[in-house]
Amino acid sequence: MLLIEADGKALLAEHGVAVPEGVMATDASIGDLPGEGPWMVKAQVPVGGRGKAGGVARCQSPQDVAAAVQRMLGGRLKGYQVDTCLIEQAVAGEERYLAIMVDAAGYGLRVIYSAQGGVDIERSGSAQGRLCPPHAGAVAEALAELIASEPEAWRRHVAAAGHGLADLLIERELALAEINPLFVSPDGCIAGDAKLVVDLGAIERQPRVAALIEARPQIYADANRKLIEGFDYVEIDPDGEIGLVTTGAGLSMMLIDELAARGMKPLNFCDIRTGQMRGSPARVMRVLEWITARQSLRAVLVSVFAGITDLAEFAHLLATGIEQSPRLRVPMVARLVGRGAAEARRILAERQPAVFVTEDLEEALRRIQAVCR
Amino acid sequence: MIGSLSRNTPVIVQGITGRMGRTHAALMRAYGTNIVGGTSTRADAKEAAGVPVFSNCRDAVLATGAVASVAMAPPLETLAAVEEALAAGIRIIVTVAEGIPLHDAIRIGRAVRRAGATWIGGSTPGMAIPGEIKLGFIPDVCLRPGPFAIMSKSGTLSYECGYRLAQAGLGHSIWVGVGGDQVKGVRFVDLLPVFFGDPRTHAIILVGEIGGSEEEECADALIRLGLCKPLYALIAGREAKEGVSMGHAGALVLGEAGTLASKTQRLTKAGARVFGSIEAIIDACVQNHLSLRA
Repeated sequence: MLLIEADGKALLAEHGVAVPEGVMATDASIGDLPGEGPWMVKAQVPVGGRGKAGGVARCQSPQDVAAAVQRMLGGRLKGYQVDTCLIEQAVAGEERYLAIMVDAAGYGLRVIYSAQGGVDIERSGSAQGRLCPPHAGAVAEALAELIASEPEAWRRHVAAAGHGLADLLIERELALAEINPLFVSPDGCIAGDAKLVVDLGAIERQPRVAALIEARPQIYADANRKLIEGFDYVEIDPDGEIGLVTTGAGLSMMLIDELAARGMKPLNFCDIRTGQMRGSPARVMRVLEWITARQSLRAVLVSVFAGITDLAEFAHLLATGIEQSPRLRVPMVARLVGRGAAEARRILAERQPAVFVTEDLEEALRRIQAVCR
Repeated sequence: MIGSLSRNTPVIVQGITGRMGRTHAALMRAYGTNIVGGTSTRADAKEAAGVPVFSNCRDAVLATGAVASVAMAPPLETLAAVEEALAAGIRIIVTVAEGIPLHDAIRIGRAVRRAGATWIGGSTPGMAIPGEIKLGFIPDVCLRPGPFAIMSKSGTLSYECGYRLAQAGLGHSIWVGVGGDQVKGVRFVDLLPVFFGDPRTHAIILVGEIGGSEEEECADALIRLGLCKPLYALIAGREAKEGVSMGHAGALVLGEAGTLASKTQRLTKAGARVFGSIEAIIDACVQNHLSLRA
């Protein structure tokens, strides 16, 4: 999961990488600005490509800063609501690119450095990479090779920034730590941006990262939900019409694609993990609570492919979940296939006869389409 | 190693006295897998799921001659479980835990590579050769011997495809869930030579999803190796949200990396047929291989 720039920079600073002085703005009253102008105003959303999407502005005067903040706040950027902006003093210097990431195929770390920083780095193909074992010494050696042709005056500054970055990635168990641009000059290096991807799998032993996520329940809504509830729920479209109560990440993703391809608007992704419900309808109720909170909801699609899960037990939990969810007033289609499907159908027919039950996914999708029409 | 697994391959289950371990050891045995024992930290456990229980992998391997292991360990304990299995001489290990820390997975990968062993997982339902062996918990209802090799990042989406193929009278030769994690054991690209060399396999189904670069890697290998057998690909996640993992830790799109467009384009260029819906891929598989129906 990607951290917003401000949180990324906080971690960078803790590991010895210099960052510009900055302040956060959550409303139009911007207060004292850091240092002299010009300033950068940057929307704090956890996505890449903010610059191209209009989420970064360079401002010459405090009035420009106020205008930029006002323009960005409350808007949406690549699917995320902007509720915070970072205001920093603009940094001068030559732009470089520096990143360390987990290399999945190589079982190591990949160190990438480019003499051309900037927004088009991914396309330019100028970045050079070195694969190395997952420890700081190896990263330092790899980086030393990559920067060998850079001016000697600031090579040691880049090496120091790389050391801090490696330390951060390894200690905090990150998937990616990228600085683009890294401003370099004979006086030192400053991180112009920070793109840090954290590993939620390691969160139990990473209290510092956990604290950052917990501190921003709005921006990291999906991650916080996962940490609190123990299963995955991602809101795809707050104006979505089809709520999903599904198990399995791949199938849930596919159902979202299938619904969208039929012209419908899925509301959420959901991997409820029926195997972990242990006889409690709590998860069903939570998901129904979240999806019925959206006025745009028009139908609910339940889908469980039960290999191990007993569908008869799930049917009871689903029926109880529906009984306990008075806000649920739209049609529900339940696609239940696998172990205990016939018994599940009988249970739902008795306890919740309004639910349309089928074993066939295509029929379920057609039914959803019909009730939405 | 994967292609030569059979009903004779001796298998142990690490963590066999836990809730999952006991259940799935019994289910694997019922399917026909040669489960010869298990390990447990419980000192009083002598037997579970009808097989002897040992206090560690070394004793289990010495007593049973096991070469394969299914590690039913929680995510934070999977690294230790794999290290123990490798030290005992296990040659192929399936780890089913969801949410193994990324940096642990790097260590697992390095240890497996050093040992020259094979690792399937994490976050996988495992693998199967229908009619022969099942390591993990792919539902029996989906499994049927036949001509299609399946490799999949997602468990549930592969169940859906495998089930519909089985319903259509077609089945599977080798089925490997590579799992949804970013850092994993066997990758799509590692399975191409296995499937190309397997006489039971007539065609390959790749069930991929957004995030990472495995599909692209596989496309490059297809060009290198030649498209020896038809490859049908289903890629999920067209409508996924950027910057957040879609359930699977590896299903994360950042900027232009890991997108559906990139994967579709590369695989298509390599000669694979890429589909965006379950019905479309199954229809194509059935239509093109009608003669193989049994």
